[in-house]
Amino acid sequence: MKHVNIIPLLIAALAFLAVTASANDRYTEAMQKNIEIVYKGKSVEEIQAAVNAFERIGDAEKSKWEPFYYASYGYLMVALRQNDPAGKDKHLDLALGVLKKASAVNPGESEIVALEGFIHMIRVSVDPASRGQQYSGLAMQTFGKAIGMNPENPRALALMAQMQYGTAQFFGSPTTEACGTLQKALEKFDSYTSENPLAPQWGRNMAEGMKEKCK
Amino acid sequence: MKNVLILCFTMLTLPVFAQVTISGVVTDVKGEPVPGANVLLLNTYDGTTSGLDGKFSFTTTEKGMQSLVVKFIGFKEYQLQLDLSKSYTGLTIALKEEINQLEAVTITAGAFAASDESRRTIFRALDIATTAGATADIAGALNTLPGTQKVGESGRLFVRGGDGNEVRTFIDGMLVLDAYGPAAPNTPSRGRFLPFMFKGTSFSTGGYSAEYGQALSSALVLDSKDEEQSSRTDFGLLSVGADVAHTQAWKNASWAGKIGYTNIRPYFGLINQEIDWKKAPVSIEGSSAYRQRVGKSGMFKVYGNFNHSDFSLHHHDIDDPDVTTLIDVNNNFRYLNGSYKTSLNEKWSLRSGLSYTLTQNNLQQGDVKLNESDEGIHAKLAFDGSLSDKVEIRTGAEVINRDYQAAVDTSSFVPGFHEVISAAFVEADLYASNKFVTRVGGRVEYNNLLNQFSVDPRISFAYKTGKNGQVSFAYGKFRQSPKNEWLRWDNQLGAEKSDHYILNYQLIENRRTFRVEGYYKTYSDLIKFKNGNPFVLNNEGSGYARGVELFYRDNKTIRNADYWISYSFLDTERDYLDTRYAVTPSFASAHNFSVVYKHFVSSLKTQFGATYSFTSGRPYNNPNEDQFNNGRTRSYQDLSVNISYLPKPNLIVYFSCTNVLGYDNIFGYEYSNTQNADGIYNSRAIRQAAPRFVFLGVFITLSKDKSINQLPSL
Repeated sequence: MKHVNIIPLLIAALAFLAVTASANDRYTEAMQKNIEIVYKGKSVEEIQAAVNAFERIGDAEKSKWEPFYYASYGYLMVALRQNDPAGKDKHLDLALGVLKKASAVNPGESEIVALEGFIHMIRVSVDPASRGQQYSGLAMQTFGKAIGMNPENPRALALMAQMQYGTAQFFGSPTTEACGTLQKALEKFDSYTSENPLAPQWGRNMAEGMKEKCK
Repeated sequence: MKNVLILCFTMLTLPVFAQVTISGVVTDVKGEPVPGANVLLLNTYDGTTSGLDGKFSFTTTEKGMQSLVVKFIGFKEYQLQLDLSKSYTGLTIALKEEINQLEAVTITAGAFAASDESRRTIFRALDIATTAGATADIAGALNTLPGTQKVGESGRLFVRGGDGNEVRTFIDGMLVLDAYGPAAPNTPSRGRFLPFMFKGTSFSTGGYSAEYGQALSSALVLDSKDEEQSSRTDFGLLSVGADVAHTQAWKNASWAGKIGYTNIRPYFGLINQEIDWKKAPVSIEGSSAYRQRVGKSGMFKVYGNFNHSDFSLHHHDIDDPDVTTLIDVNNNFRYLNGSYKTSLNEKWSLRSGLSYTLTQNNLQQGDVKLNESDEGIHAKLAFDGSLSDKVEIRTGAEVINRDYQAAVDTSSFVPGFHEVISAAFVEADLYASNKFVTRVGGRVEYNNLLNQFSVDPRISFAYKTGKNGQVSFAYGKFRQSPKNEWLRWDNQLGAEKSDHYILNYQLIENRRTFRVEGYYKTYSDLIKFKNGNPFVLNNEGSGYARGVELFYRDNKTIRNADYWISYSFLDTERDYLDTRYAVTPSFASAHNFSVVYKHFVSSLKTQFGATYSFTSGRPYNNPNEDQFNNGRTRSYQDLSVNISYLPKPNLIVYFSCTNVLGYDNIFGYEYSNTQNADGIYNSRAIRQAAPRFVFLGVFITLSKDKSINQLPSL
């Protein structure tokens, strides 16, 4: 009789696990599907739809930072596809706004800070002459902060390398520092592992592309 | 066990059976489809994005009462309660437009806003610093914008037929009594405040907000920077002096101090000057700024500035140049400005400030000594509120307390006055939509000295004609106390008044800006000499000014280049002071044209700049002619260049030269008070002190982050 009592309990426990696992799977699945779209999406409409999905998930899952992080990344991708400065700025504003929600959930996440720096960096490109001074300093500071929070974050390093390279090139000074940072970034891309199946994966191609310049 | 299994099974499969569909279309209030809208059930994953035709459809397994939410940028969020026991098809969701201050129409009549923060400005703070010919002087750079008239011997801003003192400067909302440094007669003065201190400059050539009073023609509103992010030390070695500055940054605060010494004597030793200096100008100046962030949204700022300058020169008599009079000027200036800004709640924010200005000017002309002192305190408290997304309110009160004295050592009589102006203002921005806004408000003032109570209305409208174009109109009534030199003789005078009517069209498209503005302005109660006697004054003067102005700016067409072109036409006459009847005043010119060009050459790490200005002839009175004010000077022309070279991230070499072509500009003529033997009044042209002004500077910045340089301050 004893084990008869245990069996239903075990099954109940297993069933419970299955339910929570399926809830988690549902989150991961929904996220992964849309992450794929923001990484590979071609049209603005596709990305906007994924961003909307991230915002829905983020509103429902109040303890997760990833949905708003990817919504922000999506807006940044839309900004890059805009031709007029006003449209770029508008989407950068949206990217920054939704990223604030992510950092409210997880203020210590280096990836969020690195993405913030990326937004500042793109802000410069809208009007380098008048914004360079303000935003390139801000971008560098933010990348520095992200690296400080997690020295293993390859994206923060790769973005920092880009900024350093651009500055060195502008002043015709040696690019050794920038290329050093890039080397570190590439190493970290190789060694980077995360237990989080939704951890950001982007940035490697950008770093690989920069490798040419550092030869 | 069986029961448990059934329960588990039900839990996992039940939703499949309870699936409902929700579909429909998202439109705006006019019925136009809105694509890209997020359609969702609140706090669930379920939802979709509206398609290009605005249509949406999704299924959900949720049950019971749920909130359907539809949201999209630029529209108000829409919510609808749905009982999910059945499907919903054919829903029509009309989204209402949300008024967004960033996207919405702005009132641009009369206003030139330059800001690093707002991204829709047509003139930026950095533009001031890098305009050739301006030598980093705020007034000099703004002189390349429409609405200004070049008055080369003054250096001040003259706006739309107004005198130089009709433009008032405000720092963080607080009045500056004397915004220009002292200058020898007929030589240009420089602004006391350096452009790099400010993150935003708003230059209004008329129709400005009710918040700003005591300005007849124009308000120059400067917003100082917030706290600095990083520590640094700057050195400047200039051909006319040196300066050193240090900035210390903490987590939520920063302190910056600067000391500068300017001595133009060695320079004047090299380059021959029109002026017979005894002692060329020397000045020592210091400024200091402290910023502290308080709580989440509070910002506390203190800024202080002191300046001492002196010079002396021999003034040669027009009839006999060998007869000279010594003019000796000794000037002290102190300015202290404290302000605090914070948000009170989601809707309201508070601004408060206190400023103190002291100007002491000791002037000796021959044997006569005049000691002038002007001391002012300005206190202000203002509130900004968003009552809804359609109504913005600005209201506040201020007191301007001023003590002026002018002592002449040959007389025991000390003319002076004590003026207290108490004022309150209220202004509301009413948005009918993102396309149409009305600003209505007024300013109430009581002036104890003039014993005048006044109500000055302001109203403006702006309408967006398309995605990038807009029309705006502004009207306002403005007043200003008479100049110190009149008020000190007669405390019974009234304020001088003006009315502005401005119509503006502006088109901003992809880094190109076109602007055209027309205006009509009337002056009343201007100071007038009774029967030409400068000691008997009244308020019976009057005048008008009208004109059309064009502005075009383009930093798109030519790569790495930015240029702007301004043209102003002015027709003005005034019957005031000693004029016999209404005439065009000597500072007014009918045509003002300027082109500013800046080009960055990456391979040389150098920015080249050039500014060309043209001003048509200005009137002057020739006592040898029967007709009053009949003379016209020849036109004014100037081509100035500057070069900034950045060999290293923290080093800048800067060179500038005004009037490269050496054009002999004449600003007017002075006449002798008495006729010579032939019955003619002898004359002398008022010229530039030297044909050119050449400046060379080397600027070094030391900081942890080596990429910081002083470019924004040049």
